[in-house]
Amino acid sequence: MQPTRILQGMRYRKLRLTTKDVNKGFYKGTGTGTIGRHTKHGGYVIDWTKVRTYVCPSLEGFKLTPFVTKNIQKVHGQYEDGQGPRSPALYLSRWKVENGLD
Amino acid sequence: MAPSGVIRPSMGAVIGSCRSAQLAGGAPLRLATRATTAARPSHLTSQRAAALSTTASLLKRHKYEGARKTRDNNKHRGESAVRRTGARWRTSVDSEPLPKPVPRDELPAVETDPNHGLWDFFFDRETVAQPPTRDAAHGRAWMVEELRHKSWDDLHRLWWVCVKERNRIATANWERNKSELGFGDVESAERDRQVRITMRGIKHTLTERFNAWEDARKLAETDPEIDLSGGENGTIYTPAEYLEEETFDETETLAAEESEEKAATEAQPAAPKATATLDPAELPTSSKPEGAAPRL
Repeated sequence: MQPTRILQGMRYRKLRLTTKDVNKGFYKGTGTGTIGRHTKHGGYVIDWTKVRTYVCPSLEGFKLTPFVTKNIQKVHGQYEDGQGPRSPALYLSRWKVENGLD
Repeated sequence: MAPSGVIRPSMGAVIGSCRSAQLAGGAPLRLATRATTAARPSHLTSQRAAALSTTASLLKRHKYEGARKTRDNNKHRGESAVRRTGARWRTSVDSEPLPKPVPRDELPAVETDPNHGLWDFFFDRETVAQPPTRDAAHGRAWMVEELRHKSWDDLHRLWWVCVKERNRIATANWERNKSELGFGDVESAERDRQVRITMRGIKHTLTERFNAWEDARKLAETDPEIDLSGGENGTIYTPAEYLEEETFDETETLAAEESEEKAATEAQPAAPKATATLDPAELPTSSKPEGAAPRL
């Protein structure tokens, strides 16, 4: 007895994980989450605090597009302090420059 | 071989009378037999009939009074398409004539809302999918460095622009698959990939900004110029050099109500001084964006 051809070798690692590949308790799901709970009678109660609400801002007059023209060269940030763009000191100095009150 | 006298007295009497009648003549014998037949009880008669008949009613299991009827569960027994028997029962038929479909030309035009939001799922109003040449005519995705200079509002709106673009691409894909055109998939996939890179950049920027804000807040606790508890007059930030140089401005800046507008105007000329070593373009945008002032 041998595994089927697709399961032989390293190609198996490229297959999508299924419930047959792992021990019990594995929940695959679809990445969608829940919006409520099941009742013991077989019904379903929607929990409105769990229902997703998507807020789309007004796009009127908004001129940016998902694309940038290829005529503009790509820019990479240059940071001397070695901490990169998420440096808290940089953030704080900028905040001081803008004289933020909060 | 018992003699007739051994038979029951009643029967013996009958037989005896028959014999005596036989001796007297032929006709009385027939009368006597008829009389005996008529004198028999009815159950004896039915028994004799049953021996000759095979009707179904007598084969019934339940023959008592009030017995259930044997129903035939087959509604269509006896119906045959070959023998053209038709249905067993009369079917209900409406006397009204069937409606005829209206020709397409005579139908009234469907009114649609020209500003309906679902129009955003298409590239234009005439075609369901763009030709591949137009699909391929797009720029590159946004770099993260470019997105770092955008405000929260801009990134939020740009995200939804990207979502709409992906909806359009998905609609075109679906239409192309449905009509089995067999081309345009590569161009469409590349366009979609660029949009997704932009969206990834937006998430990257916002995550980075939030992490920097968290760390900067911790750093601010150790900063002598910053008093997060509010201090006197609710001033969080008191620049040291600023206090030394221009003391007369102190009262104005400490007034929290007025200072918001003035601070914006004063901070901008002051910006090159404070960040002499730092290029403003490299700075990550704070939660209060720099570009917000002219827009609002």
